[in-house]
Amino acid sequence: MSNSTKSKVIFDRVSKSFDKRGEELCVLEDINLEVQEGEFICLLGPSGCGKSTMLNIAGGFERPDTGSVTIDGVEIVEPSDKRVFVFQEYGIFPWASVWDNVCLGLRKVPRAERDRVAQETIDLVGLTGFEKAYPMELSGGMKQRVEVARALAVKPDVIFMDEPFGALDSLTRLTMRSELIRIWKQEKPTILFVTHDVDESIQLADRIVVLSSRPGRIAAIIDVDLAHPRDLASEQYSKIKGELYELLGVKDWG
Amino acid sequence: MNILPFAAILVSIVTIAKLRRYTTVLLPLAVTTIGVGLWQIACDYWLSETNPSPMETLLAIFEIHENGRLWSDAAASLFRVTWGFFLAAAVGIPLGLWVGWTTRGFEALNPIIQALRPISPIAWIPFAILWFGIGDGAGIFLIFYASFFPITVGTMAAVRNISMVHQRSAMNFGLHGIELFRRVVFPAALPQIITSLRIALGVAWLVIVAAEMVGMDSGLGYLINDARNMGRRYDLVAATMVIIGAIGVVLDLLIRRLENFDEVRWGYVKR
Repeated sequence: MSNSTKSKVIFDRVSKSFDKRGEELCVLEDINLEVQEGEFICLLGPSGCGKSTMLNIAGGFERPDTGSVTIDGVEIVEPSDKRVFVFQEYGIFPWASVWDNVCLGLRKVPRAERDRVAQETIDLVGLTGFEKAYPMELSGGMKQRVEVARALAVKPDVIFMDEPFGALDSLTRLTMRSELIRIWKQEKPTILFVTHDVDESIQLADRIVVLSSRPGRIAAIIDVDLAHPRDLASEQYSKIKGELYELLGVKDWG
Repeated sequence: MNILPFAAILVSIVTIAKLRRYTTVLLPLAVTTIGVGLWQIACDYWLSETNPSPMETLLAIFEIHENGRLWSDAAASLFRVTWGFFLAAAVGIPLGLWVGWTTRGFEALNPIIQALRPISPIAWIPFAILWFGIGDGAGIFLIFYASFFPITVGTMAAVRNISMVHQRSAMNFGLHGIELFRRVVFPAALPQIITSLRIALGVAWLVIVAAEMVGMDSGLGYLINDARNMGRRYDLVAATMVIIGAIGVVLDLLIRRLENFDEVRWGYVKR
């Protein structure tokens, strides 16, 4: 999305430390990042590198020690349904049906409009026919679709995804990735997607932000200039993959 | 040989169990038959005449059924338990939700709740009678007290257990106040609330018998005391005990039905 000029999300010198048993633990140090509108960004790094903390700060669930995150020029100080989280574990409500889960963010929308949007979103994520089902009756992949639908229903500006497919089996994960790309192309939200899976990041992102750990710093930003659906056997794909593994300090990756 | 019929029943149960696979019903039934058989043997060889045999107990059940004591006293006990229990739920659930959710509320009320909780409801009987006199009022108060703590503490714990992800989802979609409670806090806590209601009802049924034995002039507990005092009718004592057990089982079965609703079933699945 380098041709777009409008910055949607801006991380400006963001730092964050946690107090762990009396020891100051620096999780993020001097993070600067500009995300364009409609861009798909992957935050890639090893566990504990602060990538989830970056999302939590951008989502308004945590405050940075220094610096700020702005969306459309407005500093983020609290969560809002303009920017929605899709959680790592299942954040949908097990006590509510698929329909009620998707309608969570549509409480203030008039009845007819709400019904239309909910149905459209459920159709979009491929859950038509499961409106009345409860999450415990659904597979892991379907639950994650409900979660995506719940986020999309409010037409958010930005979607934060924190290893959303981490708990799924590898085949379902592949399907969910292509589904996500299909939905993203249709709706064009700005997506910040956290993952520690190198392949996942290359398959999804416009740009991959590689984080180093302790303290979390941006080690590199890699452009993935490949058209969707991406050819996993292509030379460019392998080249990017090699580059990423090198940045992450992994040798002999095959 | 009084034991013969029990042996015959046991043999036929085991035979049927082998033929068909109703083990979930027949196995406990077989164990019960063995238990009652042992009771019979004990009466035949060791225990004094005063001890009722299974058959005498059964006859005593018919006796209190026919003279109406069974129904009037069971109704008196159930009346007190119902009122005390529902009042406790009506106060305990909202209080537990609030105290569990707000840090201030928890800090303010948790110590006193924890301090009152270990005081047996039975210890309150003198005050219950002082305040309410001998009768339903004292019984309802004691049952309220006995069920209030399991319900409140259970609800509180349930709310404090709500997962971080669900709390954040609620924040993310801008839920506040009553709506937050209605859509997230209450439904998230509900499976555990139902479990605490079950525990509370069990405790209430234990307490009412003790309370009626000490400080009331009707109810199944009173019937036990009455049977012993008026002519040492231990068969009536045993009969009442059987009835108390049976009603306890029915109460638990009734309240367990709450666990089958779609809105709460997720809470009982093993993870």
